[in-house]
Amino acid sequence: MTHLHLTWLLFRKDLLIEARSREIVGFMLLFSVLCVVIFAFAFLTDADRARLFLPGVLWVTLLFSGTVGLLRLFAREDESGTLGICARSRAGALPLYWSKVAVQIAFSGIVTACVTPLAVVFFDAEVPDVGLSFAALALGILGQSFVGTLCSALLVTVRLREVLLPLVLYPLLSPLFIGGVKMTSIVLSRTIAEDYTAWLGLMVAFDVIFMVASPAVFTRLRYE
Amino acid sequence: MSAPRLQVRGLAWAIDDRYVIRGLDLTLHAGECVAVTGENGAGKSSLISLLTGARTPRAGSVQLDGVPLDDVDPGHLATRLAHVGHRPSLYLDLSARENLALFRALVGGHGRPDDALDAMGILPADRDRPVRGFSRGMQQRTALGRLIVSPADVWLLDEPSTGLDERGRSLLVDLVRSGVAHGVACLLVSHDLTEIARIGARHMQLTRGRLVTQGARDAE
Repeated sequence: MTHLHLTWLLFRKDLLIEARSREIVGFMLLFSVLCVVIFAFAFLTDADRARLFLPGVLWVTLLFSGTVGLLRLFAREDESGTLGICARSRAGALPLYWSKVAVQIAFSGIVTACVTPLAVVFFDAEVPDVGLSFAALALGILGQSFVGTLCSALLVTVRLREVLLPLVLYPLLSPLFIGGVKMTSIVLSRTIAEDYTAWLGLMVAFDVIFMVASPAVFTRLRYE
Repeated sequence: MSAPRLQVRGLAWAIDDRYVIRGLDLTLHAGECVAVTGENGAGKSSLISLLTGARTPRAGSVQLDGVPLDDVDPGHLATRLAHVGHRPSLYLDLSARENLALFRALVGGHGRPDDALDAMGILPADRDRPVRGFSRGMQQRTALGRLIVSPADVWLLDEPSTGLDERGRSLLVDLVRSGVAHGVACLLVSHDLTEIARIGARHMQLTRGRLVTQGARDAE
């Protein structure tokens, strides 16, 4: 109960600060929209071929915009010196971890909800199975949040973290995002009959592994 | 005298290969304040970090009520140790009241944020505006309010008077004296000998990695 309560308080605190400072979501959104628009101009020479690129464009956009959020995820704590205070709560460090995961999911969710319809319209695509598309995106956001929150915490006090975070994060996330791209391709495709369950299984397995491993590593970190 | 609340034996800490703390011993009882002075770079802030558990010593042990710090449940530690440093450590986009309410929830305290802000001289009109607009001294006063809402009985204060005006320093002295009178064990890092004298703290100097007792009244 204490864990949940503290997680909620820390999550609410981050939302409150974001509502007042508007530091993260706005930039993530701007970055994502720019990505989709630029890719659309690059690929929209042939409408049929452009549709084939949509899954890649969508997932690259989500990966990059998610990174923008992750770079700022612990920055406020680091700059204000509150990281140690939050990590040493009466329920330990886990409420901080889960609150940051929830924040990243919320911010990425907002961006995805705005950018996906935009990309579908720009690339003139149809989404035959909305539920499956949603599941793929949700699994991607979850996995990115579990791993990204840990990597962001590991690098928060490191110099050049802006450079190091993608270098550490992207190789880790590659199975998840390859699975996401393949699954979205299959879902959006109206001609290729391919089984998506293997890719879905890969994404679920990735999320489960990091949902367990990431908080376990996080609790071993020490902050001043 | 009662059993020591905080006991440090043979503590060592090095930055790269340079030992700033070596073989440090310290005993802190309930209702006692020990003030540590020392030159810049003597290792005072490192000592505080080691005592909070944020750093792992190269050698030696820190015990809280006879239990090694590493064996104390982190959640329990949060309710026992309170730390205020020379940085206010506040969320600048939250108000003073919101900062203290969040901290109180994190450590499971019972004190009311408004009582803490009253005690630290933060006016009611200022309590609901973001602390980003506060002066450095007001931010530090708000940070000191954490000691009042916290249930901790060991206070680790690292130059807590940084940025405070004369009134703020008096409030700090009153706060520490009141805490010690109520059984808090306090370790205060300070450069201000007048402040140490006003608090009535046992004065020790950190020299060459060890604590040396200062002054006749301080003899153990």
